[in-house]
Order: sequence, then structure tokens, then C-alpha cells
Amino acid sequence: MDDIREIKEIWRGEIGRALKGGRVIVLLILFLLFTALALTIVGSINHQLNSQVDQAVAAGQVDAAAAAAQAVEGRKKFLSTFFTDDDALLDWLSAMPLVLFVVFKLTMVFAPLFIALMSFDQISGEIGPKSIRYLVVRVKRSSILIGKFLAQATLASGLLVLCTVMMVAVAKVLNADFTAGSAVVVGLKLCVVLVVFALAYLGLSSLCSAVTRQSGVSLVLNVMHPEPARFLSAGMVHLGFALFFLGLAHLALRRRDL
Amino acid sequence: MSAAIEIKGLSKRFGHKVAVNDVTFTVGEGECYGLIGPNGAGKTTTFSMMCGFLFPTAGSIRVLGVDPTQPGALKGKVGVLPQDAVLPAAWPVGALLTYLARLSGLPEPEREAREALERVALPETWAVPAGAMSHGMAKRVAMAQALMGKPPVVFLDEPTAGLDPKIAAAVRQLIRELKGHSTVVVSSHNLQELEELCDSTAILDKGKLVKAGTMSEMTGQLAEFRVQIARGPVPLDEVKALSGCRTATLENKDTILVVHFDGQAVQPEDIITRTVGLLVQRQVLILSVSRGKRLEEKVLQLT
Repeated sequence: MDDIREIKEIWRGEIGRALKGGRVIVLLILFLLFTALALTIVGSINHQLNSQVDQAVAAGQVDAAAAAAQAVEGRKKFLSTFFTDDDALLDWLSAMPLVLFVVFKLTMVFAPLFIALMSFDQISGEIGPKSIRYLVVRVKRSSILIGKFLAQATLASGLLVLCTVMMVAVAKVLNADFTAGSAVVVGLKLCVVLVVFALAYLGLSSLCSAVTRQSGVSLVLNVMHPEPARFLSAGMVHLGFALFFLGLAHLALRRRDL
Repeated sequence: MSAAIEIKGLSKRFGHKVAVNDVTFTVGEGECYGLIGPNGAGKTTTFSMMCGFLFPTAGSIRVLGVDPTQPGALKGKVGVLPQDAVLPAAWPVGALLTYLARLSGLPEPEREAREALERVALPETWAVPAGAMSHGMAKRVAMAQALMGKPPVVFLDEPTAGLDPKIAAAVRQLIRELKGHSTVVVSSHNLQELEELCDSTAILDKGKLVKAGTMSEMTGQLAEFRVQIARGPVPLDEVKALSGCRTATLENKDTILVVHFDGQAVQPEDIITRTVGLLVQRQVLILSVSRGKRLEEKVLQLT
């Protein structure tokens, strides 16, 4: 119980500090702006393409059903070329509005960078100036690590969920055939994917931050990428990575001089 | 007196460099204990191991009977003023102290924080961000966090370094108030301060323990006194003949009479009174009498 209380206090303190400090807020705003910009660009291209098809259908140049089927086939071909050969997955992905898929993919590309910038100094930033010494005489090192990790996870998850909601809402507005029910299901799935994905990078960030003294070094180390994730069941692997990196971070912090 | 801190064969290496080498000493409960030594002597390294910041390479430390590196072993039992630790700049002082009090598991964190700030005479800094304070103020806030909850053991690393004389005196007064109900370990370069505050001390040099003992033993207060002579011939042979006197010598161009005596056989006040009486009888004019050596002299002699 004492451990949980310690973790809760560290989590609360870190959330408060992050919200008071400028960096996290600036990063949150920048990432939201980036998502909004990507949505605007991809959404307007998508909107133009849809308008052209609608005009062609209205002019009687193209059969509407054939155009729709061709669009789905084109999307499947694009997805099978770049992402997966799994037919069931292809069907599910091709039913998703293109704008949502593309922006989501962009978000996944840039999320690790955002996470690295947000959390690179979560531990090292306290070891360098030795302010961690005020904490280690009061709480366990594991509580510090987990509390800080959870605070970063809370902030990152909050932002990623917000971005996903924004993406789904825009996709819903741009695609009349994207039903509210589908939007909720897809939105939930994407949220889970992004949060689990983010946890792995947060774990890696914790590890980098726990083994270095200078926060700059931990930022550089954060560009490392958990490659094997591509070959295994993504969600479990990323969760595994999160726990693995967090475990390593704990081992490193537990036995190091501060 | 039971031991609050026991250090046995303590060593710490950083790569090839031996920072602390086979150090052994004991700090009694309720004692004020000084760690003394020149730069690089290993004071801060020893101090950091006692607080659980650094892991010993060899040897053992017990603080209140537990290993300080064990997770959570000393929660709420020690207060620490680390030497160079920076207070988190963005936190307002009051919020920071309340947060730290909460982490220590203190029942009324905000009240503890306010009381601690009052003890260091900084209640007006409650809402001031820690990063906006001067060095002296930050040091006192750091001192305040170490005193919260009245911990049984308090570690203070260079508590008055960089403080102006008035504030330094106030900090020394705080340390005096801790004596008796808390065990206090003070690491400092200010030997006069340590001599005044500490009951016992350990002198370190180049990572090794040179000497450890009570302040009286260190300064020879139970075995030596000095008389500063203004004028007149000192009857050295008569002084040597006084009962309990071991040796009597003249130093500093015959202006200082140094008397070593048998501290077991004779009380200091007895032999000092008899010596001064003899000198006055022989019309020797005296400027001052002091017991023992200054700690500074002892440290310079040993390191």
C-alpha cells in the first residue's frame, strides 16, 4: 500500500510540474497543430478527389457503384503494397476513411519523436542537478521511476486520444458513409493502438533517462527504435517493450549512484 | 550511548580512483558529529553513502540499524541537506515542501512545510518559485526540507557554505537546537563551526580516516591548556613540578605557555587554577587562558 501511495504522490507531483512547466504544454500544442495541419492537407486532397468522382458520376461519365468499387480496390492495392497482405485486415482497413488512415499513420511516425522530446529527461533531468536526492531519501527508487513513467504516460495518452478523436471527427465529417457506430469502434481501436505504441517508447525513454546523467545524452539515445515490433503481434510486443524497458530502467536506477 | 550510525570498513571506488578507503567510525545517538577533511578527503562521498545516494564498494553502513541503500529503509527517519542538490526551479517553495512532506509520509504535510519554513525564517517565500531564490535562501529552504517531521537523524553537508555571517549564525543555532533529540552529522570546512557545534568528529584525508573521537580528545581539552603571557619570566620548572603536570613548554617566542597534564589524575580546572595562581604569584602578567588546541591546529597537524 505504501508503494502505491508513493507512486500516486510522485505521479501527482509530476503531472503538476509538467503542466506548470512550459515544455510539455508547448509540445502538446505543437503536436495537436501538426495533427490538425495533416488533417487539413490530407482532408482537402481527399475532399477534392471525392468531388471529382461525384462530378464524374453526376455527369454520367462513370457508374457510381463501379467508381466506389474501384476506389476500394485502389485503396486495398495501396495498403497491400505498403502495409499488409492479410485479407481480413485489408478489408477492415480499406473500409476506414483514407484521411483517417493516412493521418493516423503520420501520427504514429511522429509520436515517438514527440514522446522522446517530452520525456527524455524524466530521470536524468533530476540526476544531473542532483534534485533526485530530495526524493530518494523519502521514497523508493522504483516508486520514482514508475510514478514518473505513469505521469508521462498519462500526458502522452491524453494527447494521443485527443488527436485520435480529432482525426475520427474530421473523417466522419468528410465521409458520409463512415457511420457513427464505425467511427466509435475505429476511434477506440486507434486509441488503444496509439497508447500501447506510446508506452513502449515511454519505457525506452525511461531506460535512456535512467542510465544517463546528462539529459541531452538521454535525448540522443531515445532515437533508438524497437525494430522487432514489426515482426510480432504489435500490441503485445509494444506492451512487452514497455515493461522490458521499464524493468531495465528499474534495474539501472536501483543499483546506481545518484 | 547506543550507536545511531555504524560504519565499518567502508570503501568507495570510482573506476581506479579510491575516494574512500576502509573507513570505520560510530556516531552515538543524539550526538552532533562532524566530518572534517581537506578537499578530496572523501567527506561528501562518505556522507552520500550514509544517506544511501551512493553504494559502497566495500564495507557496511547501518543507520538506525538499517542499510541506507535498502529501498524505503529510512523513509521519514532521516533529513538530508545534500551539498549541491538544486531545488526544482519551477516549484513554488510552499508547494515543494508540502510535496516532499507528503512523500515522507508526514500526517499534516502543509503544516509541516509552514513550520519548517518558519524555522529557517523564510515564511514569506511560500509562493516564491524555488528557482527565483538567492543561494542563501535556497540553502535555507533545503535546510527546511531536511528538518520537516523532526527526523531522528539529520545529515547536513556544508550547511553554512556560501551564507552571510548572520544567516550562518542562525543556521548554527538551528543545529544547536537539534542536538539531544536528533543525531546530527555535519560535513564542513568551517572548523571553528564544527568545534563549536560537534560532540565528536572524524578527520578524513585522501579517503582514509586519520582520527576519530570526541571533540575533547581531538582538541586535548582534557589534557592540555595554554596560557598567553604578556610580560614576565615564566617559572617553567615550578610549573613542571605542579602535581598532575606532565610537560610544560614555552612556544611562540616565550609568549605561550603550553601545559600537558594527566587528565585522569587531575581535573582541568584544578591544574589551570594552580598554574595561573603560581604565575600571578611570580608577577607574570597573563593575557588569556585556553583549554586544548584549536581544532584547526589539530587538523592541520594530521592532514
